[in-house]
Amino acid sequence: MQNQYSMRSPAVKRLMKEAQELREPTEQYHVQPLDDNLFEWHFTIRGPADSDFDGGIYHGRIILPPDYPMKPPSIILLTPNGRFEVYKKICLSISGHHPESWQPSWSIRTALLAIIGFMPTHGAGAIGSLDYTPEERKVLAKKSNDWKCENCGCIGHILPPVTKASEKTTQEAKELASQIAFQGEKPKDGSQSSSTQAESNSSSTTTSSATTSAATSTTESASATTNTSEPASSSTPTTSFASSSTSPGSTATTSEGLRQRRLAPTQNYQNAELPVHVRSNETFSLFLIIFLVCAIGLLVLRRLYVAFNWGFLNEEL
Amino acid sequence: MAEADSGFNYDPTKNYDDQICAQQRDIEKQITDEQSLVSNILSFDVLKTEYQDDQVFQNKIQDIKSRYKHMRKTRGDGNCFFRAFGFAYLEHLLKDDSDFPRFKEVASKSKDELVSLGFPQFTIEDFHDTFMEVIDKVGNKISYEEFFQLYTDQGISDYFVVYLRLIVSGHLQKEEDFFMNFVEGGRTVKEFCNQEVEPMHKESDHIHITALTAALGVTIRVEYMDRGDSDKCNQHDFPDGSKPDIFLLYRPGHYDILYP
Repeated sequence: MQNQYSMRSPAVKRLMKEAQELREPTEQYHVQPLDDNLFEWHFTIRGPADSDFDGGIYHGRIILPPDYPMKPPSIILLTPNGRFEVYKKICLSISGHHPESWQPSWSIRTALLAIIGFMPTHGAGAIGSLDYTPEERKVLAKKSNDWKCENCGCIGHILPPVTKASEKTTQEAKELASQIAFQGEKPKDGSQSSSTQAESNSSSTTTSSATTSAATSTTESASATTNTSEPASSSTPTTSFASSSTSPGSTATTSEGLRQRRLAPTQNYQNAELPVHVRSNETFSLFLIIFLVCAIGLLVLRRLYVAFNWGFLNEEL
Repeated sequence: MAEADSGFNYDPTKNYDDQICAQQRDIEKQITDEQSLVSNILSFDVLKTEYQDDQVFQNKIQDIKSRYKHMRKTRGDGNCFFRAFGFAYLEHLLKDDSDFPRFKEVASKSKDELVSLGFPQFTIEDFHDTFMEVIDKVGNKISYEEFFQLYTDQGISDYFVVYLRLIVSGHLQKEEDFFMNFVEGGRTVKEFCNQEVEPMHKESDHIHITALTAALGVTIRVEYMDRGDSDKCNQHDFPDGSKPDIFLLYRPGHYDILYP
């Protein structure tokens, strides 16, 4: 990996150091760069103990911009969790009035702890947030242990079991979450709804076979090596185009077809991920049908009554 | 819904990221192309053409011209004060190293101070290492050309700026009792540092300059070229009454370097 990057670049030096520091899995998190791309990392985090995500193990990607740490990393969750949309970039910023204030003295570890601490907070309709019910989140938390990453394999047993030592980390995560906010990147072209569209796109591609994943990994490494000057861009298969990437745009190597293929093997939970509104849509149509039947019935009755009434009146006249 | 309103039709086979990013890159590239991080030595004629039809500024440029020989521009990216300060002071040390041992001592001690104030050791060390590397090279009397090249390398230059920002943040927090009186918007000193000092591209104000000069023991004179009626620029020395090591030119929202 060393030969591929300029060691004079402070970003490269910094990422190497961070990779070294974060090499061993901790009880709450583990994060490492991909073998062939120092600017893309994969992480595994534990759902906070006192929340709906208790017992959940969540996996995702971190994309570093070429001028990291001057610009913030973006995080993409891959495991369905009910709090953040999957396959959608979420950015990190200080909450409230100063949304662009990433600080260079923060690190990948800061970003991870912040997202752990941020999970139990209320989404409040922010872009990229999901408001699933506690029950649905708990189901997803349980299922998450069997989830597999096409790069890292089974993620359920990466983290060592929780001991008392975790309390301090958990506290730190909570404090960070009060300072930092996450949200999906703002759609600059004003088309918010497309994210759901993209999501259903990805869940409808059901092909998952060894061959597709093999094809994916080769194209991926190919694109990673062809493009070392803009490493973050070579691997930006975000499903939703609305989440406009901060990393210098996806290059020609990532075609839509490639995206779809890449998504397929990791989409194990189409059923679980099919969101609530699909089900509520069905209830709505059922209600509509009953309502219309009643309305028509009433009209027919009225007609009959009117006809009968006239007849009655006529007779009387 | 928004799609219908704007007449925009989402085409799932297209990738819009490229267009948006390309546009953003173009703007950034334009700034980067047109303005170097630190320019070569320039004459004041550059300013004169910039303010051609502006009598107030013409008078003030004349005033500056009578007291200074030439200037150097810095990129207007919000980091200009720190960038100008770093360049001017290191260049000063290259010419006159009498202050070097004192400055180096202060610079190397600053890391432990920041860590003791609660800054994360891991990342502070990273910035401090690069900061000291640059200072050591200046101490080893590299040539002016080598220095210029080093300081205009975006990665290294940004690292230098980050560390200067951290020094300011550390000093403000250490002297919180004093500086809390100057923080605007009902914020604590810590909040102010998180929002206005440590993030890159945040512009500097009086409070930043006061803290940086105090923390590093470096003296600055700033010439203020603004819309005021006077024919002359106001000047301000940091700290008050000191003999300045370096000279900066302030125009609304921007700092450049001056040479007497």
